[in-house]
Amino acid sequence: MTGQRSWAARAGWLFVASVVVLIVLVPLAYTIDAAFYKETKIGLSSERSLTAVINVYTTWVYLETLWEAVRLAVIVTAFSLVFGVLMAMLICRTDLPFKRTLETLIILPLFLSPFTGLIAWIALGSEKTGFVNVAWRTIAGLVFDNPPAIANVWTYGGVVWVMTLFFAPFAYLFTAGSLRKVDSSLEEAARVSGASAWTTLARITLPVSLPAVFAAGLLIFILAAELYTIPGIIGTTAGFTTMPWKIYLDSTQFPVHRAHAAASGTILLLVTIVGVWMQRRVTRVSERYVTVSGKGFRGNPLKLGRAGTTIALGIIGFYILCADILPFGALILSSFMKFSAATITSEVLTLDQYRDIFRIENVRTALVNTVVLGLMSGTVCLLLGLAISYAEVRAPGPATRSLAFLGVLPVAVPGLVFGIGLLWTYIQTPLYGSIWILLLAYVAKFLPYGILVTHSGILQIHSDLEASARISGAGPLTAMARITIPLIKPTLIAVFFFVMLMSIKELSASILLYSDRSQVLSVLTWHYMDAGNYQFAAAVGVVQTMLMLLLVIGTRAIFDVGLERALGKGGA
Amino acid sequence: MIAKLAARIGALALALSSIGASAQTFPNDEAKLYEAAKKEGKLVWYESAPLEAMKAVAAEFEKKYPGVKVEVLRVVGVAQYQRFLQEVQAKRHAVDVLHISDYPSMMDLIEQGHIADWKVPLHDRIPEMFRMKQHAYANYTTDNAIIYNVNKVTPEEVKILASSWKGVLDPRFKGRFAVTTMKCGACYANLHMFLDPKFAKEYGPDFLRKVAEQKPVVYGEVLVGLDRVIAGEHDFTFWTWEGIGVTHFQRGAPIRWVRPSPTPEFGNSWQAVSKYAPRPNAARLFQNWSMSVEGAEVLQTKYGSRTTLAGIDDKRSVVKESWYQPIKEVYPVDVKRWERDFSKDLDLWAKTLREHGR
Repeated sequence: MTGQRSWAARAGWLFVASVVVLIVLVPLAYTIDAAFYKETKIGLSSERSLTAVINVYTTWVYLETLWEAVRLAVIVTAFSLVFGVLMAMLICRTDLPFKRTLETLIILPLFLSPFTGLIAWIALGSEKTGFVNVAWRTIAGLVFDNPPAIANVWTYGGVVWVMTLFFAPFAYLFTAGSLRKVDSSLEEAARVSGASAWTTLARITLPVSLPAVFAAGLLIFILAAELYTIPGIIGTTAGFTTMPWKIYLDSTQFPVHRAHAAASGTILLLVTIVGVWMQRRVTRVSERYVTVSGKGFRGNPLKLGRAGTTIALGIIGFYILCADILPFGALILSSFMKFSAATITSEVLTLDQYRDIFRIENVRTALVNTVVLGLMSGTVCLLLGLAISYAEVRAPGPATRSLAFLGVLPVAVPGLVFGIGLLWTYIQTPLYGSIWILLLAYVAKFLPYGILVTHSGILQIHSDLEASARISGAGPLTAMARITIPLIKPTLIAVFFFVMLMSIKELSASILLYSDRSQVLSVLTWHYMDAGNYQFAAAVGVVQTMLMLLLVIGTRAIFDVGLERALGKGGA
Repeated sequence: MIAKLAARIGALALALSSIGASAQTFPNDEAKLYEAAKKEGKLVWYESAPLEAMKAVAAEFEKKYPGVKVEVLRVVGVAQYQRFLQEVQAKRHAVDVLHISDYPSMMDLIEQGHIADWKVPLHDRIPEMFRMKQHAYANYTTDNAIIYNVNKVTPEEVKILASSWKGVLDPRFKGRFAVTTMKCGACYANLHMFLDPKFAKEYGPDFLRKVAEQKPVVYGEVLVGLDRVIAGEHDFTFWTWEGIGVTHFQRGAPIRWVRPSPTPEFGNSWQAVSKYAPRPNAARLFQNWSMSVEGAEVLQTKYGSRTTLAGIDDKRSVVKESWYQPIKEVYPVDVKRWERDFSKDLDLWAKTLREHGR
């Protein structure tokens, strides 16, 4: 009987492995293969060549873009960690009031795609006409003559600022879980010895959580190094080019350098491989912090005092103002405008966008497809991620470890490059032109989150618990279903939420793979933005954000688990 | 062995099907073509212009020919070329009519034999520069313009800008305008003219350097720069194209434009019927209608660009504006030099801006 159960588990794992090979390895192989062809003016010739690889790996034109991408990613990661971890420590380890509300507001930027966030920040942070500067000049002008601008998004600092606001919630989410599990007796000992709450957070809480902070940092670094929209559009004006933007230019502008784009993709892949390898080493170290072991655990929050609470609320409030209130406000305002303007008058305002938006058939189709794809990719990534991580943690070996490693790789291959691989893989199948090819793209792209987050969740469940079930006669699948899954249920729901949100926002692969029947909201937003209609793009962006909020609120009501809490419990 | 046999059978089938496609004749009589198109029921149109405008154009076609639906899919620039070629190579023929915003891409597809030889009824009314053999047609013109914000540029300054492309070098414009390094047809057209050997003394690389020394703000995306002009962040763009100006003007944006002489005018977007169109009659009906008087007028009003069809009145509302000036002298592009120097010239422009503009 036990033999049969093991066989079933192995067969299940083999099925999962085949799926991952088909949706990750084959498109990746196509992507890498494209780097080894001679280019024509518009595509690839059939002749093999190493020119693109040599150019990308040895010439400063490309290496400079890699340097710029890495430099920017390091700076953004550092600032995101400072903001995100500080807020996570304040929420998870102190007696700060309004925690539930604050947590929701801290992760709210996740509901904004980088593209729509960029529209908002262009409207807010342009030097002469940005709403922030116009408001500042109006107020400061009462006291000073010609006060200078206080924000300029079209600079290097502007790129770092916008990206930091976008990535700080990741730092928060992926460290909150670990911070919640820190044994408070360590902090209490520090307080008894006379340390202040802030000193205790800096000297005790932070060092104990460093593995989780480092792991979160690596993930943010990989994601920031891959992002092309914000650094691309602002970077040209600010005077720098990152490798993902160079890949975008090489893939989309005449003359096309497809082999060069693919070769650049392999560099980013190597960066990811190193990053993922380091992330896994760090996570293994954090295994020492396994906390769910059948024993009880208690925790007392650090008391901040009145001044400390004011400072803490000030820090988080500033973040919420910059990351939520201003960009969401600007996006909503833009969606009611006829054209971009620095000052709002009745001549500028209109309801046309919202009048038109639901009349357009494309929007209705896109809305339905987006919901279906979001729900399905969330479910598939959750199931595959769980199976892969479970096998890796509970049956460690070269095969299970390799599969987990393979599944994580697409996280940093730019969607544009990976999308071409997917197109080549599936163009001859009935999937081409349907929403299912988009589903495959989303699963491949977001499976890494499924694997990384469930991996952490399973690591925190001591194997002794399952061993007890096995001794009592349960098979591996039963032990997993009856013991592990109920214990990591919040983590699993969080993975579902998170992948669903990321899928709804996905653009770069969708733009290559969509058809008339498989329109999605992110592609529609891009079409309007690309054609210069930023106001309609903002309106579609608002609809997209509302959709995400509704889905999360709905799912939350059904499962009674909040994204911020659940992911926080999962940790990185 | 089986694989080899299957491959040979596949190759034979492909050869037979392509013989069939080339040998097949299609009625040029509108009524017969419509009847055949109705049986096909729809057509798929890959296009590269703003989606809402092209949807409106397609809706007018559907109104005129009930029973033939147009599925509009916006696939921009080189991406459309790549997508089409990948579909051809995989024998997954999805598209009927292509509308590509790059001359070299369309020419390449024609030379590779992927475009149907289909002469529209009004072929002779389309100037030669707006057609490629009997295969592809540019259905609207792209002509470059300096678009300015009416609240930021004085009438006197408008006169300076309108007088010559060199007007931008006036010291009063230093740091006040936006340029782009984007690689697109309209982004290139003026460079193509400035670097024309016959204008070497008047313009040339030296003129580009002087423009850069005026310290313009450089945008990677041309329409982001225009959006910032509309908002009032900069005073004008050095250069964009009239069509996009019309689109924003109709929405009420505080912009106008001038077109110094000579004005580059060219066909930026090329429409053609795929040789492998799964709905060949509907595709041809749509192509004929697009290049007809009715189709041209629809395109003018819905999209805002001038038609290439000769003898059509410019009925766009913008031309009735008191400030509107038609083009005085056209600069016709040299297609061969365009294809040869496109990338080199744009790289020179980006380098000049980097070295002298910051």
